[in-house]
Amino acid sequence: MAIIQTNNLSKVYGSGDAVVTALRDVSLTVETGEFVAVMGPSGCGKSTLLHLIGGLDRPTAGTIQLDGDDLSRLSDTRLTEVRRRKIGFVFQFFNLIPVLDAVENAALPLILDGMKLAAARATAAEWLQRVGLDGQTSHRPDQLSGGQQQRVAIARALATEPALVLADEPTGNLDSRASDEVAGLLRQVADEWQRAVLMVTHDPRIAAYADRIVFLKDGSIIDQARLNGTPLEGAQLVRDKVEAL
Amino acid sequence: MSIQLTLAARYMAGRKLRTFLTTLAVIFGVTIVFGLNGLLPAFSEAFRQNMLASAGKIDLTVTSASGGTFEAEVIAPVRSVNGIDEATPILRQNAILPTGQAVNAVTVVGVDPESFSQVRPHSLVLGRYLQAGDKNALVLGEKLAEEMGLKLGDIFTLPSAAGATDFAVVGVIATQGVLGVEEVYVPLSTAQAMFNQAGRLNTIEARFAAQADRVQVAAAVQAQLGNRFKLGEIEGGGQFLSALAMGQIVLNLFGVLALAMGGFIILNTFRTVVAERRRDIGMLRALGATRGMVVGIILAESLLQGLLGTAIGMLIGAGLAYSLIGLIRPIFEQFLHMSFTGRPVFDIPVFIWALVLGVGITMLSGLLPAISASRVVPLEALRPMVGVAAQRAARRGAWVGAGLIGLAALTLISGAPKAAAAGAFLVLIGLVLAGPALVRPIALLFGRLLTVIFAREGQIAQGNMTRQPGRAAITASAMMIGLALIIACAGMMSSMEEGIGRYLAKSMGSDFLLMPASLVLGGGNVGASPELAQAIRDTPGVQDVTTLRLANSEARGTALQLVGIEPESFARVGGMEFMLGSEAQIYQELRNGRGIILNGVFAVRNPVQLGEWVTLKTPDGERAYQVVGVGSDLLNAKAATGFISQANLAADFHESNDLLLMVNKTPEAEVTAVRSALDGLVKQYPALTVMESTEWRETMIGMFGKVVGSLYFVLIALAIPSLIALVNTLAINVIERTREIGVIRAVGGTRRQVQRMILAESLLLAILGIAFGILAGLWLGYSLVGAVGVVGFKLTYFFPATSVLIATAVGLIFGVIAALLPARQAAQLQIVRALRYE
Repeated sequence: MAIIQTNNLSKVYGSGDAVVTALRDVSLTVETGEFVAVMGPSGCGKSTLLHLIGGLDRPTAGTIQLDGDDLSRLSDTRLTEVRRRKIGFVFQFFNLIPVLDAVENAALPLILDGMKLAAARATAAEWLQRVGLDGQTSHRPDQLSGGQQQRVAIARALATEPALVLADEPTGNLDSRASDEVAGLLRQVADEWQRAVLMVTHDPRIAAYADRIVFLKDGSIIDQARLNGTPLEGAQLVRDKVEAL
Repeated sequence: MSIQLTLAARYMAGRKLRTFLTTLAVIFGVTIVFGLNGLLPAFSEAFRQNMLASAGKIDLTVTSASGGTFEAEVIAPVRSVNGIDEATPILRQNAILPTGQAVNAVTVVGVDPESFSQVRPHSLVLGRYLQAGDKNALVLGEKLAEEMGLKLGDIFTLPSAAGATDFAVVGVIATQGVLGVEEVYVPLSTAQAMFNQAGRLNTIEARFAAQADRVQVAAAVQAQLGNRFKLGEIEGGGQFLSALAMGQIVLNLFGVLALAMGGFIILNTFRTVVAERRRDIGMLRALGATRGMVVGIILAESLLQGLLGTAIGMLIGAGLAYSLIGLIRPIFEQFLHMSFTGRPVFDIPVFIWALVLGVGITMLSGLLPAISASRVVPLEALRPMVGVAAQRAARRGAWVGAGLIGLAALTLISGAPKAAAAGAFLVLIGLVLAGPALVRPIALLFGRLLTVIFAREGQIAQGNMTRQPGRAAITASAMMIGLALIIACAGMMSSMEEGIGRYLAKSMGSDFLLMPASLVLGGGNVGASPELAQAIRDTPGVQDVTTLRLANSEARGTALQLVGIEPESFARVGGMEFMLGSEAQIYQELRNGRGIILNGVFAVRNPVQLGEWVTLKTPDGERAYQVVGVGSDLLNAKAATGFISQANLAADFHESNDLLLMVNKTPEAEVTAVRSALDGLVKQYPALTVMESTEWRETMIGMFGKVVGSLYFVLIALAIPSLIALVNTLAINVIERTREIGVIRAVGGTRRQVQRMILAESLLLAILGIAFGILAGLWLGYSLVGAVGVVGFKLTYFFPATSVLIATAVGLIFGVIAALLPARQAAQLQIVRALRYE
């Protein structure tokens, strides 16, 4: 089942001489349980695409269907609700609240959604355990390593059981070992917990964890590749494709 | 705990210094509001208790509606009312004792011994009670006797209209828990003679018959006597209570202003909080937090801060009230002649008022930043900040601010004093709004100067300040309020000082003054009978004498103090400044028929025209007086006052004692000779003191100077929040620029250079505040001086040059002090950690 479907999505910034077209007629579909990576050079529109699909920004033209809702038509309040219930975000800089501990950070979207504190904490603790962080639930972000912080962010993204997880350069701030752990975790999110995962990355090794890779250049999709082999083979394929761009 | 409160508490705990400084602003304001509001009721309560205690447990008290004396025959109709068991005639008068005695004042109660002991039984401790036929016998309370060291048979001298009267102490009674001014009892006829009130009373006290219906009996007495009389209230003290109420308003105003300054500090803190947490807020929005939730998080933080500040402020305020009472008690006893055992009263309204102000202003100050936080779109928050919106807002504020200042200028030009005073507050608001747009030009102007002293650091500081014009302007606004008040009050005071000198020369311009012990004419002074004035007139070397007499009345619902003057001699020896009517004509008209000069205080409350009739309440009923002039003198500048001829005062108010005498000598007479002759005459009148007018004027101006001095102390204390504002802003700047400071240190900047950079910035902020403060203060002072003229006290504005210098010095000193802590903090940053700071 398609969780996301974008049709001729365009985004233009500025006006007059200063017009910048960040996205041009992008049509993309992501299915339940599918892990899709978006790659391309700097400024190709990767993050813009992610922001539009995440309801953080509105398109200039085109539509975005997310689990049956047309995001481009929703009011700010409805859009906020969709973000809260249907989308989980994972950011490059983790974006955890520094004054809350791991379990409180992971429980945040549930609390914002009105769940009772105890129930929210219990659910969050469960997700922290699933992402391999059961020993550090009471640690604040500054007491955790980068990889651990990103696991908390992933637990937070999954806590509301969203249909879609959006990851914007989730390993951009991590060493290679932690990067592999996080990428593997996102793989697990798609395979085991059947969420659609859309990840922006510039690292071919990390992109190789995905089922499919979408290549963007100058705001348009120029190629797509489905990965079936081992991560190692996939990484080589991606490198070849990137070099060809 | 909700997520909003959890986040608020954690964020506050994470920024302890900032939380402390911001909370300090709330604490200061609440301390003033709570402490002083708790303190003032203690005074009114003490006063009320004094009044109640001296009235004892009496069923019914009858006094004249006008507050004056009435004929003794009124006792008969009171006695005739069914349900009245006994009624007793009384003439009571506060008497200030000559200085040097153990007690400052007593209340002389002239009683009819037999009926009085029926109405108010006393338990005798020593000797006997007053008896019919007693003349100069006196009974007093145990405590007073002890304090004055009086025993049975001793002589107690009381001031009287005839000078002084000696009494023999015949009895001591148990003190009835009376606080303050103690009563001494003398025979009624002696009291009447002493105060020149033959055949007159000012109080009737009555006791109800057992099982009488109290309400019904009281109504019957009122019906019997008519509206010339009122029941139940002890007269006097109204002026004191209204002065207290006025004091309370002024002190509350101080508290509110302190809190307003606190508001600016809080506003600054929360603006920074929002800027600092853009990423957190953006992330919350991305996770699905609604705008309302974001507002809630910021407001929860301001709520916590407000509650914390209010609670601490209440504690310190209570402490302040208790310690102030200890300091004030001796003053209260010495000047108001009351013992004072009161404690601060913190009743529920005081708590509510402090809570509403403390928490309310904090929440209000948090509201704007909270709303601006909620407007942050999730995506914008994940990107670097853009300055366009801030600039646009600053420009809009500048236009509105300039508009308000323009409007204020129009009110000033219009010449309408009330509008101009309101306009002065528009200037304050206008400067607050226009502030951000003025930051750059002022920083450029003074930045050059600082560059000379601080070289490179000055330049960086100037750049740093203009980078956050909004924050700089808010800090300057907090400082502006403090300094503006200092300068405005200084302008008022220097103008008043000159004005008082001028008015004193005009209205108390005689060569000699025979003054009562208290300057408040009605404050328990015992007047002298007309014989004294006559004796002075007959003294060689004396050219002219005029006297002031006093009675109380009411006109158009306003309590009116009536001063009796002798128009002809008053014009020659005394005098006043007139707003309506021509001087020569006014005194002429005062002599014919019933004419009255009203003062500015009365005229402001009840506008009157020349020739109009006003009805005065007199002990004998209502009398119509024609307004012949409106004018003011200094002695009665605070109270609604009317001036009538002494002939009319005697006829309508039965008052013919002189309270104050003004004497002019002949040109050829020696000052010392006349003075010693006057001293000789006054020796028999312990209530009066002879003073040379020049000497007295100097004393008055000196006293005024002392009051001004203490007021400055309060005003400088009021400027303290501006110091907190400066420290707060600088601390915020240091935190925000941690990484930049790290870079400066990394590329070779010394700790000292970093410190100098913060100091330069602090001084620039202070200069901005000083500039705003001087402008607003001069404007406010000038308008207020104009507004004082409305009550008939016309003043010329004097430029308070010294105070402008003081305010500038205070501002700059604050600038240096404020920089100490943040500069130290910045200089001690560890370079590697600072570079990693986000």
